[in-house]
Amino acid sequence: MDFFSALSLQALKVFAYLFTREMFKPGDYLFRQDDNDGIAFYILSGTAEVVRKDESGEFSLGKYGEGEFLGGLVLLGDMRRLFSLKAVTDMSCLVMTREKFIKALEQFPELIPKVLETMVDRIRSWEERLLIDQDALCASCKKKVGVSLV
Amino acid sequence: MASYDYIKNVEELSVMRKTETAVVKRSLPSWIRSSNLKLQALLLLVILITVFARVLPLEMQKRIVNEAIRFGEIQLLFLYCGLYLAAVVIATGLKYLISALQNLIGERALADMRKALYHHILTLPLNFFRKTQPGLVVSSLVTELASAGNFVGMSIGVPVASILTLLAFAGYLIWLNPLLAGISLSIYPMVLILLPRLQQQANKANKRRVDTTRTLSGKIGEAISGVHEIHGNGSYRIENRRYDRMVDKLYKIRIVWNLYKFSVKSVNNFFNNLSPFLIFIVGGYLSIKGRLDLGALVAFISAQEKIYDPWKELIAFYQVYQDASVRYKRTMEYFDELPEHTLEPDDREPYELEGSIEVKDLSFQVEGGIQLLDGINLSLTPGEQLALVGFSGSGKSTLAQCVGQLYKYTGGHVLLGGEEVTDLSKKDMIHNIGFVSQTPFTFEGTIKDNILYSCAAKLGSDEISESDAMPSLDDMIEALQQTGIFVDVLRFGLNTILVYDEHQDLAAKIVRVRDHFKREFGEELADYVEFFAEDNYLYHSTIAANLTFGSPNIESFTLQNLAVNDYFLRFLDKADLTRPLLTLGAELCRQTVDILGDLPPEKVFFEQSPITADELGEYKILAVRLAKTKLHRLSPDDRTALLRLALRFVPGRHKMVGMPSILEELILEGRALFKENISKDNPGALTFYQASEYIYSQTILDNIFFGKTKTINPQAEEKIDQSIIQVLIEEDLLETIVEIGMEFQVGSKGDRLSGGQRQKLAIARVFLKAPRVLIMDEATSALDNKSQARIQSLLDTRWKGQSTLIAVVHRLDIIKKYDKIAVMKAGRIGEMGPYDDLIAKKGMLYELIYGKKTSS
Repeated sequence: MDFFSALSLQALKVFAYLFTREMFKPGDYLFRQDDNDGIAFYILSGTAEVVRKDESGEFSLGKYGEGEFLGGLVLLGDMRRLFSLKAVTDMSCLVMTREKFIKALEQFPELIPKVLETMVDRIRSWEERLLIDQDALCASCKKKVGVSLV
Repeated sequence: MASYDYIKNVEELSVMRKTETAVVKRSLPSWIRSSNLKLQALLLLVILITVFARVLPLEMQKRIVNEAIRFGEIQLLFLYCGLYLAAVVIATGLKYLISALQNLIGERALADMRKALYHHILTLPLNFFRKTQPGLVVSSLVTELASAGNFVGMSIGVPVASILTLLAFAGYLIWLNPLLAGISLSIYPMVLILLPRLQQQANKANKRRVDTTRTLSGKIGEAISGVHEIHGNGSYRIENRRYDRMVDKLYKIRIVWNLYKFSVKSVNNFFNNLSPFLIFIVGGYLSIKGRLDLGALVAFISAQEKIYDPWKELIAFYQVYQDASVRYKRTMEYFDELPEHTLEPDDREPYELEGSIEVKDLSFQVEGGIQLLDGINLSLTPGEQLALVGFSGSGKSTLAQCVGQLYKYTGGHVLLGGEEVTDLSKKDMIHNIGFVSQTPFTFEGTIKDNILYSCAAKLGSDEISESDAMPSLDDMIEALQQTGIFVDVLRFGLNTILVYDEHQDLAAKIVRVRDHFKREFGEELADYVEFFAEDNYLYHSTIAANLTFGSPNIESFTLQNLAVNDYFLRFLDKADLTRPLLTLGAELCRQTVDILGDLPPEKVFFEQSPITADELGEYKILAVRLAKTKLHRLSPDDRTALLRLALRFVPGRHKMVGMPSILEELILEGRALFKENISKDNPGALTFYQASEYIYSQTILDNIFFGKTKTINPQAEEKIDQSIIQVLIEEDLLETIVEIGMEFQVGSKGDRLSGGQRQKLAIARVFLKAPRVLIMDEATSALDNKSQARIQSLLDTRWKGQSTLIAVVHRLDIIKKYDKIAVMKAGRIGEMGPYDDLIAKKGMLYELIYGKKTSS
């Protein structure tokens, strides 16, 4: 949760208070493709699978587990999901909604630069990783890299 | 349902008809003519009697002095005094009667004015409201017209009474002594010359005051409706400055206005006080010289004083008249615009049009020569569906609104079933068209009121009783299902708290559902619901509920009152719970204040807090005291506050403090003790949670559960909803609960509903009307994907061929099945045709969907 690492004590208390704990069972969706749910998850235990569905069917895009924080971007603004997240095992998560996050952020405006910095850094390192193992990418995919250029 | 009464409609209609003679063109005096003339006549009669009753005491006064006292006639003294008294009593009673009559006439005129003007305002074109703030309309209707009503009430009574009294007194004075009378009456012509000049100045100031008040109320209305923007920008100072400037301006104008008004009064007073002075000089002289007897002088002086009263009233009336006519004129002038379309056809039933739409060379120009639509041509056969797409500002909504008669187009033709839309009346339109706007409006009332809104408006003036024509419960439920708001309404129903006196039958049925539910879903939902069990601590209920394990039947045992209930406090002592609960309360207070102490009173921050936003201030101070004082030294009030906090603690929700396990044990012990005690001492005070009893203090849902939900996770809610629906269907109660849910009060502007729910209601409202032509202006923009897809597929199947559809669409993934798609750009239709054709053409639609150039 590098997002929250640099918070002042008071801010940390408020954010910690605003997280709620939710349980999920295997097969439950944490969120669904195309929804604009605005919820971020911190996984306390269990595993979830990222799934995308298109005209050709449903395919899995990897798994997330304990200690991972999903959805930092979704907290910042309206976004329709490009993927679904489905619980594979019993899961326990801390959950934060966009509404709460934004309202809380308004109270601690000094955090905004920090949040943006974290986001930028995440996007950059994401693409860096992609470029490092670009051997795995197909030729036409390589032409489309460059998210960090937006 | 009573609101759709036929009689009421007729009444409204008749008022509406009156409006057609343009209320804004009516003069103020015309309201006198249209007031109740019988009442006015009665008023006049009463006044004539009063005038006589007012003069009589004067004559008695003279006779008492001149005849009774002078000649020592006790008999006469009693007689005259008796007559005097009778006259005074009668005059007082009549005076009251006059006020009552005036009040009646005036208020009725005011009510008529308010109705007529409001009815007129609602019909004004949308353009008018672009430049008119709601606040302005409010102040016009509520404050500015009041003086006009007042005037109508006074209009006959006061001037006639005053003038007659004046003449009577003047005549009496002349009869008493022509010389003195001439002197004392000589001042009035002077007043009559001076006053109107002053009043003119006052009127000028008054006009400015009306205008400034109007801008001010507009400004307030604007600030309040945009208050989120003010909060968002923190622009309090800017707004304050704007407002303050206007208030200062108004302040100056009001001072000037009042000064002129006072000066009218002062001048009047001055001259009136001048006349006794003249009388004393002349009358005194004559009396000393023995040419006037003392009684006559006394009578003259008191008669001369009395003449002042009607005169004052006359002047006051004059001022009211001036003020009222300025305000009235100013107000009516502002709203003096005509509706763009007639409301109702004059001499025929509304058309039943077939749903074809023909747009020929349509253009729409607004002030400043800006062309919003230009050369639009399209045609739809009945049942055809057209999607309007394009960038924002391309005119797609405007086109839909022109077809729907919300704007009056400035060139070309729109033919609806062959009839020119401009020439159709509003009633023709609502009979044939259903319009769902981009920002649908939800009105205060129940869900049901809102769903029936369009149908009620359509039927409003028909002479059909409601039962025949209004949609049935089944129709309404179908519309709820179609628009996907059914589950929400069911939820509202489930969250209702039943009242013992009204719902005993239903309650008994729900207890039956409870068994059924437990049998079928108890195990499956155990993770999401905490069922009530006498031996378990309930982590999702309050400590109070854990202790009493029942729902209160009397006021003193409700959650809010338990902390001051002596019986309960003694019980806490006995169960050794007072101290631990106070400690818990103190901890809750400290922790919550620590976390929330500096946050604003937003709902999101307080959802998981035992302290409400309103109480925060109070507990903040208490937290400071707690830091300095030991618990046992706290004041009784502070202890109550802490106890109250502890009693509402729900460990499953209020996470800032953990529940000590020892306290859990103590509470479970206490629960048994409490049950034992209260069953002996006050058995009716509570109903214990029992699987066979309905709990009236809790919602239907909690009663079905016989427990509390643990989660707000939407997944879990969906599962719960589905299982509940299944059980309710099996028990044949689903419709009953939905019907209860439809009585849910949506709040002012529907603020108790989400944006999506409001939009769904707006669609349901139009679906229920099943119009021949459906115009949807981005009607599904606030909906989640699933609901949007559901409504789209309904349009694709159920409504296709039934209703002609024009849909303004923002999202391009739902337009494939439309018969035609029109791509708009800068007020023109760039291209139009079926989806596949346009995509194959790789023109504007292709560009809109796939971007200007694909990267491959």
